[in-house]
Amino acid sequence: MPDLLSVEGLCAGYGEARVLNDIGFALRPGESLALLGRNGVGKSTLIRSLIGLTRRQGGRLRFAGADITAAPPFRRARAGIGWVPQERAMFPSLSVEEHLTTVARRGPFDLARVYDIFPRLAERRANMGNQLSGGEQQMVAIARALMTNPRLLLLDEPMEGLAPIIVHDLAAVIRRLIAESGLSVIVVEQHARLALSMTARAMVLDRGRIVHDGPSTELLEDNDKLGRLVAVAA
Amino acid sequence: MNALPGLLFDGLAYGSLLFLVSIGLSITMGLMNFINLAHGAFAMIGGYASVWFSHRFGMPFLATLPLAFAVAGLAGLIAERVLFRHLYRASHLDQVLFTVGFVFSSIAAATYLFGSAQQSVSLPAALQGQVQVMGVDLGRYRLFLIGAVVVLSAGLGLLMTRTRFGAQVRAAVDNRDAAEGLGLNVGLVFSLCFGLGTGMAGLGGALGVEVLGLDPGFALKYMVYFLLVVVVGGAGTLSGPLVASMLLGVCDVAGKYYLPQAGAFIIYVLMIVLLLAFPKGLGLGRPSLSRLPLSILVRRRA
Ligand SMILES: Nc1ncnc2c1ncn2[C@@H]1O[C@H](COP(=O)(O)OP(=O)(O)OP(=O)(O)O)[C@@H](O)[C@H]1O
Ligand SMILES: [Mg+2]
Repeated sequence: MPDLLSVEGLCAGYGEARVLNDIGFALRPGESLALLGRNGVGKSTLIRSLIGLTRRQGGRLRFAGADITAAPPFRRARAGIGWVPQERAMFPSLSVEEHLTTVARRGPFDLARVYDIFPRLAERRANMGNQLSGGEQQMVAIARALMTNPRLLLLDEPMEGLAPIIVHDLAAVIRRLIAESGLSVIVVEQHARLALSMTARAMVLDRGRIVHDGPSTELLEDNDKLGRLVAVAA
Repeated sequence: MNALPGLLFDGLAYGSLLFLVSIGLSITMGLMNFINLAHGAFAMIGGYASVWFSHRFGMPFLATLPLAFAVAGLAGLIAERVLFRHLYRASHLDQVLFTVGFVFSSIAAATYLFGSAQQSVSLPAALQGQVQVMGVDLGRYRLFLIGAVVVLSAGLGLLMTRTRFGAQVRAAVDNRDAAEGLGLNVGLVFSLCFGLGTGMAGLGGALGVEVLGLDPGFALKYMVYFLLVVVVGGAGTLSGPLVASMLLGVCDVAGKYYLPQAGAFIIYVLMIVLLLAFPKGLGLGRPSLSRLPLSILVRRRA
Protein backbone atom coordinates (compact mmCIF):
# COMPACT_ATOMS: atom_id res chain seq x y z
CA MET A 1 0.00 0.00 0.00
CA PRO A 2 1.37 3.47 -0.81
CA ASP A 3 2.34 5.67 2.12
CA LEU A 4 -0.23 8.12 3.44
CA LEU A 5 2.43 10.49 4.73
CA SER A 6 6.07 10.70 3.86
CA VAL A 7 8.60 13.12 5.32
CA GLU A 8 12.04 13.51 3.77
CA GLY A 9 14.97 15.44 5.19
CA LEU A 10 12.70 17.84 7.05
CA CYS A 11 14.47 20.72 8.79
CA ALA A 12 12.22 23.22 10.53
CA GLY A 13 12.01 25.67 13.40
CA TYR A 14 10.90 29.17 14.28
CA GLY A 15 12.37 32.09 12.36
CA GLU A 16 16.09 31.52 12.10
CA ALA A 17 16.16 29.05 14.99
CA ARG A 18 16.30 25.41 13.94
CA VAL A 19 14.53 22.82 16.05
CA LEU A 20 14.17 19.80 13.75
CA ASN A 21 17.06 18.28 11.85
CA ASP A 22 16.82 15.91 8.92
CA ILE A 23 13.59 14.20 9.95
CA GLY A 24 12.59 11.32 7.70
CA PHE A 25 9.81 8.78 8.13
CA ALA A 26 6.71 7.43 6.39
CA LEU A 27 3.31 6.39 7.63
CA ARG A 28 0.95 3.90 6.01
CA PRO A 29 -2.85 4.24 6.01
CA GLY A 30 -4.22 2.99 9.32
CA GLU A 31 -0.82 2.96 11.01
CA SER A 32 -0.54 4.27 14.58
CA LEU A 33 2.63 5.94 15.76
CA ALA A 34 3.69 7.06 19.24
CA LEU A 35 5.99 10.08 19.15
CA LEU A 36 8.07 10.11 22.32
CA GLY A 37 10.88 12.16 23.79
CA ARG A 38 11.78 14.38 26.71
CA ASN A 39 10.45 17.91 27.21
CA GLY A 40 11.51 20.36 24.57
CA VAL A 41 13.04 17.91 22.09
CA GLY A 42 10.77 19.08 19.29
CA LYS A 43 7.72 16.79 19.34
CA SER A 44 5.21 19.62 19.04
CA THR A 45 7.41 21.31 16.48
CA LEU A 46 7.23 18.16 14.35
CA ILE A 47 3.46 18.00 14.70
CA ARG A 48 3.16 21.71 13.85
CA SER A 49 5.47 21.21 10.88
CA LEU A 50 3.16 18.51 9.52
CA ILE A 51 0.19 20.89 9.68
CA GLY A 52 2.38 23.71 8.34
CA LEU A 53 2.71 26.12 11.24
CA THR A 54 6.49 26.31 11.56
CA ARG A 55 9.19 27.77 9.36
CA ARG A 56 10.34 25.02 7.01
CA GLN A 57 14.08 25.24 6.40
CA GLY A 58 14.49 22.21 4.16
CA GLY A 59 13.06 18.86 3.11
CA ARG A 60 9.85 17.63 1.52
CA LEU A 61 6.43 16.41 2.64
CA ARG A 62 3.97 14.23 0.75
CA PHE A 63 0.46 13.42 1.91
CA ALA A 64 -2.16 11.24 0.24
CA GLY A 65 -0.25 11.20 -3.02
CA ALA A 66 0.27 14.96 -3.28
CA ASP A 67 3.27 17.14 -2.53
CA ILE A 68 2.23 19.39 0.36
CA THR A 69 5.67 20.90 1.00
CA ALA A 70 4.49 24.38 0.05
CA ALA A 71 0.81 24.03 1.03
CA PRO A 72 -0.52 26.43 3.68
CA PRO A 73 -2.02 24.91 6.85
CA PHE A 74 -5.66 25.19 5.80
CA ARG A 75 -4.95 23.23 2.60
CA ARG A 76 -3.17 20.50 4.54
CA ALA A 77 -6.11 20.31 6.93
CA ARG A 78 -8.51 20.05 4.01
CA ALA A 79 -6.31 17.39 2.41
CA GLY A 80 -7.03 15.25 5.47
CA ILE A 81 -4.73 16.09 8.36
CA GLY A 82 -6.65 16.51 11.63
CA TRP A 83 -4.82 18.39 14.35
CA VAL A 84 -5.39 18.26 18.11
CA PRO A 85 -3.03 20.97 19.37
CA GLN A 86 -1.12 20.79 22.61
CA GLU A 87 -2.99 22.72 25.30
CA ARG A 88 -6.19 22.34 23.27
CA ALA A 89 -6.38 25.77 21.64
CA MET A 90 -10.03 26.43 22.41
CA PHE A 91 -11.90 29.27 20.76
CA PRO A 92 -13.24 31.19 23.79
CA SER A 93 -15.97 32.95 21.85
CA LEU A 94 -17.36 29.81 20.19
CA SER A 95 -19.82 27.44 21.78
CA VAL A 96 -18.96 23.74 21.92
CA GLU A 97 -21.27 23.08 18.99
CA GLU A 98 -19.77 25.94 16.99
CA HIS A 99 -16.31 24.47 17.55
CA LEU A 100 -17.57 21.40 15.76
CA THR A 101 -19.71 22.89 12.99
CA THR A 102 -17.32 25.69 12.04
CA VAL A 103 -14.61 23.30 10.88
CA ALA A 104 -16.89 20.45 9.72
CA ARG A 105 -16.31 18.77 6.40
CA ARG A 106 -18.30 15.99 4.80
CA GLY A 107 -17.48 12.42 5.79
CA PRO A 108 -18.28 9.65 8.26
CA PHE A 109 -17.79 11.89 11.32
CA ASP A 110 -20.72 14.24 11.81
CA LEU A 111 -22.29 15.88 14.87
CA ALA A 112 -24.35 12.82 15.73
CA ARG A 113 -21.40 10.45 15.59
CA VAL A 114 -19.11 12.77 17.51
CA TYR A 115 -21.73 13.31 20.24
CA ASP A 116 -22.09 9.56 20.35
CA ILE A 117 -18.36 9.22 21.05
CA PHE A 118 -18.41 12.07 23.59
CA PRO A 119 -21.90 12.21 25.15
CA ARG A 120 -20.63 14.82 27.61
CA LEU A 121 -20.20 17.29 24.74
CA ALA A 122 -23.83 16.91 23.74
CA GLU A 123 -24.77 18.07 27.25
CA ARG A 124 -22.36 21.00 27.02
CA ARG A 125 -23.11 21.95 23.40
CA ALA A 126 -24.18 25.51 24.30
CA ASN A 127 -21.24 26.24 26.63
CA MET A 128 -18.49 28.54 25.45
CA GLY A 129 -14.95 27.31 24.85
CA ASN A 130 -13.65 28.91 28.03
CA GLN A 131 -16.40 27.53 30.26
CA LEU A 132 -15.26 23.92 30.13
CA SER A 133 -13.19 21.69 32.34
CA GLY A 134 -9.80 20.50 31.10
CA GLY A 135 -11.20 17.10 30.19
CA GLU A 136 -14.11 18.63 28.31
CA GLN A 137 -11.78 20.95 26.44
CA GLN A 138 -9.71 17.97 25.38
CA MET A 139 -12.84 16.20 24.18
CA VAL A 140 -13.76 19.29 22.16
CA ALA A 141 -10.27 19.42 20.67
CA ILE A 142 -10.46 15.77 19.57
CA ALA A 143 -14.08 16.01 18.41
CA ARG A 144 -13.25 19.17 16.47
CA ALA A 145 -10.40 17.44 14.65
CA LEU A 146 -12.64 14.44 13.87
CA MET A 147 -15.28 16.76 12.38
CA THR A 148 -12.76 17.70 9.68
CA ASN A 149 -12.94 14.02 8.67
CA PRO A 150 -9.20 13.51 8.53
CA ARG A 151 -7.25 10.53 7.24
CA LEU A 152 -4.41 11.29 9.65
CA LEU A 153 -5.05 12.40 13.22
CA LEU A 154 -2.30 14.29 15.07
CA LEU A 155 -2.76 14.17 18.84
CA ASP A 156 -0.34 16.40 20.74
CA GLU A 157 -0.37 15.36 24.42
CA PRO A 158 -4.10 14.71 24.63
CA MET A 159 -3.85 13.56 28.26
CA GLU A 160 -1.83 16.50 29.56
CA GLY A 161 -3.09 17.82 32.89
CA LEU A 162 -6.11 15.53 33.13
CA ALA A 163 -7.29 13.56 36.15
CA PRO A 164 -6.44 9.81 36.02
CA ILE A 165 -10.05 8.73 35.61
CA ILE A 166 -10.46 11.04 32.60
CA VAL A 167 -7.15 9.87 31.13
CA HIS A 168 -8.50 6.34 31.36
CA ASP A 169 -11.72 7.20 29.49
CA LEU A 170 -9.97 9.26 26.86
CA ALA A 171 -7.37 6.55 26.25
CA ALA A 172 -10.22 4.11 25.64
CA VAL A 173 -11.72 6.47 23.06
CA ILE A 174 -8.39 6.90 21.27
CA ARG A 175 -7.77 3.16 21.30
CA ARG A 176 -11.17 2.60 19.74
CA LEU A 177 -10.53 5.23 17.07
CA ILE A 178 -7.25 3.58 16.16
CA ALA A 179 -8.78 0.12 16.06
CA GLU A 180 -12.08 0.84 14.33
CA SER A 181 -11.92 3.98 12.21
CA GLY A 182 -9.06 3.14 9.88
CA LEU A 183 -7.47 6.49 10.72
CA SER A 184 -3.72 6.89 10.79
CA VAL A 185 -2.75 8.39 14.14
CA ILE A 186 0.35 10.09 15.51
CA VAL A 187 0.14 10.54 19.26
CA VAL A 188 2.57 12.57 21.34
CA GLU A 189 2.48 11.58 24.98
CA GLN A 190 4.55 12.14 28.12
CA HIS A 191 3.40 8.84 29.58
CA ALA A 192 5.44 6.63 27.32
CA ARG A 193 3.86 3.37 28.44
CA LEU A 194 0.36 4.62 27.81
CA ALA A 195 1.31 5.79 24.32
CA LEU A 196 3.12 2.54 23.56
CA SER A 197 0.13 0.51 24.69
CA MET A 198 -2.11 2.37 22.25
CA THR A 199 0.10 2.24 19.15
CA ALA A 200 1.78 -0.24 16.85
CA ARG A 201 4.92 1.76 16.24
CA ALA A 202 7.04 4.21 18.21
CA MET A 203 9.47 6.92 17.26
CA VAL A 204 11.71 8.75 19.73
CA LEU A 205 13.03 12.26 19.20
CA ASP A 206 16.06 13.77 20.87
CA ARG A 207 17.25 17.30 20.23
CA GLY A 208 15.35 17.52 16.98
CA ARG A 209 16.48 14.20 15.53
CA ILE A 210 14.90 10.77 15.30
CA VAL A 211 16.94 8.49 17.58
CA HIS A 212 14.70 5.42 17.52
CA ASP A 213 12.01 4.00 15.24
CA GLY A 214 10.49 0.55 15.80
CA PRO A 215 7.52 -1.49 16.99
CA SER A 216 5.92 -0.25 20.22
CA THR A 217 6.12 -3.69 21.82
CA GLU A 218 9.90 -3.65 21.53
CA LEU A 219 10.16 -0.60 23.83
CA LEU A 220 7.39 -1.84 26.12
CA GLU A 221 9.34 -5.03 26.74
CA ASP A 222 12.78 -3.43 27.08
CA ASN A 223 12.65 -1.28 30.20
CA ASP A 224 16.28 -0.25 30.09
CA LYS A 225 16.11 0.90 26.53
CA LEU A 226 12.91 2.83 27.14
CA GLY A 227 14.50 4.45 30.20
CA ARG A 228 17.55 5.46 28.21
CA LEU A 229 15.51 6.97 25.37
CA VAL A 230 12.85 8.80 27.35
CA ALA A 231 12.41 9.76 30.95
CA VAL A 232 9.74 7.23 31.85
CA ALA A 233 6.79 8.49 33.76
CA ALA A 234 4.28 5.89 34.96
CA MET B 1 -37.54 77.09 23.38
CA ASN B 2 -35.34 74.31 24.63
CA ALA B 3 -32.88 73.24 21.94
CA LEU B 4 -31.65 70.17 23.79
CA PRO B 5 -33.99 67.46 22.41
CA GLY B 6 -33.32 68.60 18.86
CA LEU B 7 -29.57 68.68 19.44
CA LEU B 8 -29.63 65.27 21.02
CA PHE B 9 -31.53 63.93 18.04
CA ASP B 10 -29.17 65.50 15.52
CA GLY B 11 -26.23 64.21 17.51
CA LEU B 12 -27.60 60.67 17.49
CA ALA B 13 -28.17 60.82 13.74
CA TYR B 14 -24.65 62.10 13.25
CA GLY B 15 -23.33 59.42 15.60
CA SER B 16 -25.21 56.74 13.66
CA LEU B 17 -23.40 57.78 10.51
CA LEU B 18 -20.05 57.78 12.28
CA PHE B 19 -20.79 54.31 13.57
CA LEU B 20 -21.78 53.00 10.16
CA VAL B 21 -18.55 54.26 8.61
CA SER B 22 -16.25 53.36 11.49
CA ILE B 23 -17.48 49.89 12.39
CA GLY B 24 -15.59 48.36 9.49
CA LEU B 25 -12.43 50.10 10.66
CA SER B 26 -12.97 48.71 14.13
CA ILE B 27 -13.47 45.21 12.77
CA THR B 28 -10.40 45.23 10.54
CA MET B 29 -8.16 46.90 13.10
CA GLY B 30 -9.28 44.36 15.68
CA LEU B 31 -8.90 41.38 13.36
CA MET B 32 -5.67 42.20 11.64
CA ASN B 33 -4.05 44.72 13.94
CA PHE B 34 -3.78 46.83 10.83
CA ILE B 35 -3.80 50.63 11.19
CA ASN B 36 -5.87 51.66 8.22
CA LEU B 37 -6.04 55.44 7.85
CA ALA B 38 -7.45 54.94 4.35
CA HIS B 39 -10.78 53.69 5.64
CA GLY B 40 -12.50 57.03 4.93
CA ALA B 41 -11.49 56.74 1.28
CA PHE B 42 -13.88 53.79 0.95
CA ALA B 43 -16.67 55.83 2.51
CA MET B 44 -15.89 58.46 -0.12
CA ILE B 45 -16.00 55.85 -2.90
CA GLY B 46 -19.47 54.86 -1.71
CA GLY B 47 -20.57 58.48 -1.70
CA TYR B 48 -19.34 59.12 -5.23
CA ALA B 49 -20.84 55.82 -6.42
CA SER B 50 -24.24 56.92 -5.15
CA VAL B 51 -23.94 60.37 -6.76
CA TRP B 52 -22.65 58.92 -10.03
CA PHE B 53 -25.38 56.31 -10.41
CA SER B 54 -28.11 58.85 -9.74
CA HIS B 55 -26.69 61.53 -12.07
CA ARG B 56 -25.66 59.17 -14.82
CA PHE B 57 -28.65 56.85 -14.90
CA GLY B 58 -31.20 58.92 -13.05
CA MET B 59 -31.50 56.25 -10.37
CA PRO B 60 -33.44 57.22 -7.26
CA PHE B 61 -31.30 57.84 -4.18
CA LEU B 62 -32.48 54.79 -2.27
CA ALA B 63 -31.70 52.49 -5.22
CA THR B 64 -28.12 53.72 -5.33
CA LEU B 65 -27.46 52.67 -1.72
CA PRO B 66 -26.93 48.95 -2.38
CA LEU B 67 -24.66 49.91 -5.26
CA ALA B 68 -22.65 52.21 -2.98
CA PHE B 69 -22.21 49.27 -0.64
CA ALA B 70 -21.21 46.94 -3.47
CA VAL B 71 -18.76 49.33 -5.14
CA ALA B 72 -17.01 50.28 -1.89
CA GLY B 73 -17.00 46.68 -0.70
CA LEU B 74 -15.50 45.44 -3.93
CA ALA B 75 -12.93 48.24 -3.96
CA GLY B 76 -11.98 47.32 -0.40
CA LEU B 77 -11.75 43.64 -1.21
CA ILE B 78 -9.47 44.30 -4.16
CA ALA B 79 -7.32 46.81 -2.27
CA GLU B 80 -6.94 44.33 0.59
CA ARG B 81 -5.98 41.45 -1.68
CA VAL B 82 -3.61 43.49 -3.82
CA LEU B 83 -2.14 46.05 -1.41
CA PHE B 84 -2.99 46.01 2.28
CA ARG B 85 -2.50 42.27 2.82
CA HIS B 86 1.24 42.73 2.41
CA LEU B 87 1.34 45.25 5.25
CA TYR B 88 -0.11 43.09 8.03
CA ARG B 89 3.35 42.12 9.19
CA ALA B 90 4.83 45.56 8.60
CA SER B 91 5.41 48.07 11.39
CA HIS B 92 2.57 50.36 12.37
CA LEU B 93 4.56 53.30 11.01
CA ASP B 94 4.76 51.65 7.58
CA GLN B 95 1.03 50.97 7.72
CA VAL B 96 0.31 54.60 8.59
CA LEU B 97 2.58 55.95 5.86
CA PHE B 98 1.18 53.63 3.23
CA THR B 99 -2.47 54.25 4.04
CA VAL B 100 -1.97 58.02 4.26
CA GLY B 101 -0.44 57.78 0.79
CA PHE B 102 -3.54 55.88 -0.28
CA VAL B 103 -5.72 58.73 1.05
CA PHE B 104 -3.81 61.33 -0.96
CA SER B 105 -4.09 59.17 -4.07
CA SER B 106 -7.83 58.90 -3.49
CA ILE B 107 -8.09 62.71 -3.20
CA ALA B 108 -6.26 63.14 -6.50
CA ALA B 109 -8.37 60.46 -8.20
CA ALA B 110 -11.64 61.94 -6.94
CA THR B 111 -10.62 65.44 -8.06
CA TYR B 112 -9.68 64.10 -11.49
CA LEU B 113 -12.90 62.15 -11.94
CA PHE B 114 -15.47 64.39 -10.28
CA GLY B 115 -13.85 67.80 -9.82
CA SER B 116 -13.36 69.53 -6.51
CA ALA B 117 -16.96 70.73 -6.01
CA GLN B 118 -19.24 69.63 -3.19
CA GLN B 119 -21.61 66.90 -4.38
CA SER B 120 -25.24 66.64 -3.48
CA VAL B 121 -27.98 64.04 -3.67
CA SER B 122 -31.67 64.51 -4.22
CA LEU B 123 -33.61 62.83 -1.46
CA PRO B 124 -37.04 61.36 -2.17
CA ALA B 125 -39.90 63.55 -0.98
CA ALA B 126 -40.75 61.11 1.78
CA LEU B 127 -37.39 61.74 3.41
CA GLN B 128 -37.55 65.53 3.23
CA GLY B 129 -38.87 67.91 5.83
CA GLN B 130 -39.78 67.32 9.43
CA VAL B 131 -42.14 65.27 11.49
CA GLN B 132 -43.42 66.30 14.92
CA VAL B 133 -42.86 63.72 17.61
CA MET B 134 -44.07 64.71 21.08
CA GLY B 135 -43.77 68.36 20.28
CA VAL B 136 -40.24 68.14 18.89
CA ASP B 137 -39.52 68.69 15.21
CA LEU B 138 -37.41 65.84 13.89
CA GLY B 139 -35.84 65.74 10.43
CA ARG B 140 -37.28 62.83 8.49
CA TYR B 141 -33.95 62.04 6.88
CA ARG B 142 -32.17 61.92 10.22
CA LEU B 143 -34.88 59.66 11.57
CA PHE B 144 -34.33 57.42 8.56
CA LEU B 145 -30.57 57.42 9.21
CA ILE B 146 -30.98 56.30 12.79
CA GLY B 147 -33.43 53.59 11.75
CA ALA B 148 -31.17 52.36 8.96
CA VAL B 149 -28.19 52.12 11.29
CA VAL B 150 -30.18 50.27 13.94
CA VAL B 151 -31.26 47.71 11.34
CA LEU B 152 -27.78 47.36 9.86
CA SER B 153 -26.12 46.98 13.26
CA ALA B 154 -28.61 44.31 14.25
CA GLY B 155 -27.91 42.56 10.96
CA LEU B 156 -24.18 42.72 11.55
CA GLY B 157 -24.62 41.38 15.07
CA LEU B 158 -26.66 38.47 13.76
CA LEU B 159 -24.13 37.77 11.04
CA MET B 160 -21.37 37.53 13.63
CA THR B 161 -23.27 35.48 16.22
CA ARG B 162 -25.60 33.29 14.22
CA THR B 163 -23.90 32.32 10.98
CA ARG B 164 -21.11 29.96 10.08
CA PHE B 165 -19.20 32.86 8.58
CA GLY B 166 -19.47 34.77 11.85
CA ALA B 167 -18.22 31.75 13.79
CA GLN B 168 -15.27 31.47 11.41
CA VAL B 169 -14.42 35.12 12.01
CA ARG B 170 -14.58 34.64 15.77
CA ALA B 171 -12.47 31.48 15.59
CA ALA B 172 -9.86 33.23 13.45
CA VAL B 173 -9.65 36.11 15.91
CA ASP B 174 -9.56 33.87 18.97
CA ASN B 175 -6.76 31.68 17.70
CA ARG B 176 -5.52 32.25 14.19
CA ASP B 177 -3.11 29.29 14.09
CA ALA B 178 -5.67 26.81 15.36
CA ALA B 179 -8.30 28.10 12.93
CA GLU B 180 -5.90 27.81 10.01
CA GLY B 181 -4.64 24.39 11.14
CA LEU B 182 -8.23 23.13 11.26
CA GLY B 183 -8.93 24.09 7.68
CA LEU B 184 -10.25 27.65 7.81
CA ASN B 185 -8.89 29.91 5.08
CA VAL B 186 -8.20 32.73 7.50
CA GLY B 187 -6.74 35.03 4.84
CA LEU B 188 -9.96 34.80 2.84
CA VAL B 189 -12.12 35.29 5.95
CA PHE B 190 -10.16 38.46 6.71
CA SER B 191 -10.49 39.71 3.13
CA LEU B 192 -14.24 39.23 3.24
CA CYS B 193 -14.38 41.09 6.56
CA PHE B 194 -12.40 43.89 5.01
CA GLY B 195 -14.80 44.03 2.06
CA LEU B 196 -17.79 43.97 4.40
CA GLY B 197 -16.29 46.79 6.47
CA THR B 198 -15.48 48.98 3.48
CA GLY B 199 -18.91 48.21 2.04
CA MET B 200 -20.55 49.49 5.23
CA ALA B 201 -18.29 52.52 5.07
CA GLY B 202 -19.39 53.10 1.47
CA LEU B 203 -23.01 52.88 2.53
CA GLY B 204 -22.22 55.37 5.29
CA GLY B 205 -20.55 57.66 2.77
CA ALA B 206 -23.61 57.55 0.52
CA LEU B 207 -26.05 58.11 3.36
CA GLY B 208 -23.79 60.85 4.66
CA VAL B 209 -23.63 63.05 1.54
CA GLU B 210 -26.66 64.94 2.86
CA VAL B 211 -25.20 65.33 6.36
CA LEU B 212 -21.40 65.30 6.09
CA GLY B 213 -21.10 66.54 2.52
CA LEU B 214 -18.87 64.99 -0.11
CA ASP B 215 -15.83 66.41 -1.83
CA PRO B 216 -12.42 64.95 -2.65
CA GLY B 217 -11.08 65.90 0.78
CA PHE B 218 -13.67 63.74 2.56
CA ALA B 219 -11.31 60.95 3.60
CA LEU B 220 -8.87 63.39 5.16
CA LYS B 221 -11.48 65.66 6.72
CA TYR B 222 -13.19 62.90 8.67
CA MET B 223 -10.19 60.63 9.27
CA VAL B 224 -9.86 61.90 12.81
CA TYR B 225 -13.50 61.19 13.60
CA PHE B 226 -13.31 57.58 12.40
CA LEU B 227 -10.10 57.00 14.33
CA LEU B 228 -11.56 58.59 17.44
CA VAL B 229 -14.48 56.19 17.33
CA VAL B 230 -12.15 53.22 17.22
CA VAL B 231 -9.59 54.54 19.70
CA VAL B 232 -12.22 55.55 22.23
CA GLY B 233 -14.55 52.64 21.55
CA GLY B 234 -11.97 49.89 21.27
CA ALA B 235 -11.09 47.96 18.13
CA GLY B 236 -12.73 44.67 17.32
CA THR B 237 -15.93 45.23 19.24
CA LEU B 238 -19.39 46.38 18.23
CA SER B 239 -20.53 47.88 21.52
CA GLY B 240 -17.55 50.15 22.19
CA PRO B 241 -17.65 51.95 18.83
CA LEU B 242 -21.44 52.24 19.07
CA VAL B 243 -21.25 54.08 22.38
CA ALA B 244 -18.24 56.11 21.24
CA SER B 245 -19.98 57.16 18.00
CA MET B 246 -23.07 58.36 19.81
CA LEU B 247 -21.06 60.26 22.42
CA LEU B 248 -18.94 61.84 19.73
CA GLY B 249 -21.96 62.72 17.59
CA VAL B 250 -23.92 64.30 20.42
CA CYS B 251 -20.95 66.19 21.90
CA ASP B 252 -19.83 67.47 18.52
CA VAL B 253 -23.29 68.78 17.60
CA ALA B 254 -24.01 70.16 21.06
CA GLY B 255 -20.54 71.66 21.37
CA LYS B 256 -20.81 73.52 18.11
CA TYR B 257 -24.19 74.91 19.22
CA TYR B 258 -23.40 75.95 22.78
CA LEU B 259 -19.69 76.81 22.40
CA PRO B 260 -19.30 77.83 18.77
CA GLN B 261 -15.97 79.52 19.50
CA ALA B 262 -14.51 76.18 20.67
CA GLY B 263 -15.93 74.56 17.53
CA ALA B 264 -14.39 71.29 16.45
CA PHE B 265 -12.03 71.35 19.40
CA ILE B 266 -14.71 69.89 21.69
CA ILE B 267 -14.22 66.35 20.41
CA TYR B 268 -10.52 66.37 21.23
CA VAL B 269 -11.29 67.39 24.79
CA LEU B 270 -13.83 64.61 24.88
CA MET B 271 -11.27 62.12 23.62
CA ILE B 272 -8.72 63.15 26.23
CA VAL B 273 -11.28 62.89 29.01
CA LEU B 274 -12.53 59.51 27.82
CA LEU B 275 -9.08 58.06 27.37
CA LEU B 276 -8.10 59.24 30.84
CA ALA B 277 -11.20 57.62 32.27
CA PHE B 278 -11.02 54.47 30.09
CA PRO B 279 -7.39 54.11 29.00
CA LYS B 280 -8.19 50.84 27.26
CA GLY B 281 -11.20 52.18 25.39
CA LEU B 282 -14.86 51.61 26.16
CA GLY B 283 -14.68 48.11 24.73
CA LEU B 284 -15.48 46.41 28.02
CA GLY B 285 -11.97 46.74 29.37
CA ARG B 286 -10.15 45.28 26.38
CA PRO B 287 -7.06 47.07 25.07
CA SER B 288 -8.14 49.29 22.24
CA LEU B 289 -5.55 48.82 19.54
CA SER B 290 -4.59 45.20 19.70
CA ARG B 291 -6.13 41.99 18.40
CA LEU B 292 -9.51 41.59 19.96
CA PRO B 293 -12.44 39.30 19.61
CA LEU B 294 -15.29 41.01 17.91
CA SER B 295 -17.49 38.77 19.89
CA ILE B 296 -17.15 40.37 23.26
CA LEU B 297 -20.35 42.31 22.81
CA VAL B 298 -22.19 39.47 21.29
CA ARG B 299 -20.89 36.51 23.22
CA ARG B 300 -23.77 34.26 24.07
CA ARG B 301 -24.16 33.15 27.62
CA ALA B 302 -25.12 29.56 28.08
N1 LIG C 1 6.91 29.44 19.04
C1 LIG C 1 8.20 29.16 19.29
N2 LIG C 1 9.16 30.06 18.99
C2 LIG C 1 10.46 29.80 19.22
N3 LIG C 1 10.91 28.65 19.76
C3 LIG C 1 10.01 27.71 20.09
C4 LIG C 1 8.61 27.92 19.87
N4 LIG C 1 7.95 26.82 20.30
C5 LIG C 1 8.88 25.99 20.75
N5 LIG C 1 10.12 26.50 20.63
C6 LIG C 1 11.39 25.84 21.00
O1 LIG C 1 11.53 24.69 20.20
C7 LIG C 1 12.05 23.62 20.98
C8 LIG C 1 11.16 22.42 20.85
O2 LIG C 1 9.90 22.74 21.41
P1 LIG C 1 8.65 21.77 21.26
O3 LIG C 1 7.48 22.49 21.80
O4 LIG C 1 8.58 21.26 19.89
O5 LIG C 1 9.06 20.60 22.25
P2 LIG C 1 8.19 19.37 22.78
O6 LIG C 1 8.99 18.17 22.54
O7 LIG C 1 6.83 19.41 22.22
O8 LIG C 1 8.14 19.67 24.34
P3 LIG C 1 6.99 19.38 25.41
O9 LIG C 1 7.12 17.96 25.78
O10 LIG C 1 7.33 20.27 26.54
O11 LIG C 1 5.69 19.70 24.79
C9 LIG C 1 12.20 24.14 22.40
O12 LIG C 1 13.54 24.46 22.61
C10 LIG C 1 11.34 25.36 22.44
O13 LIG C 1 11.92 26.32 23.31
MG1 LIG D 1 4.97 19.69 22.97
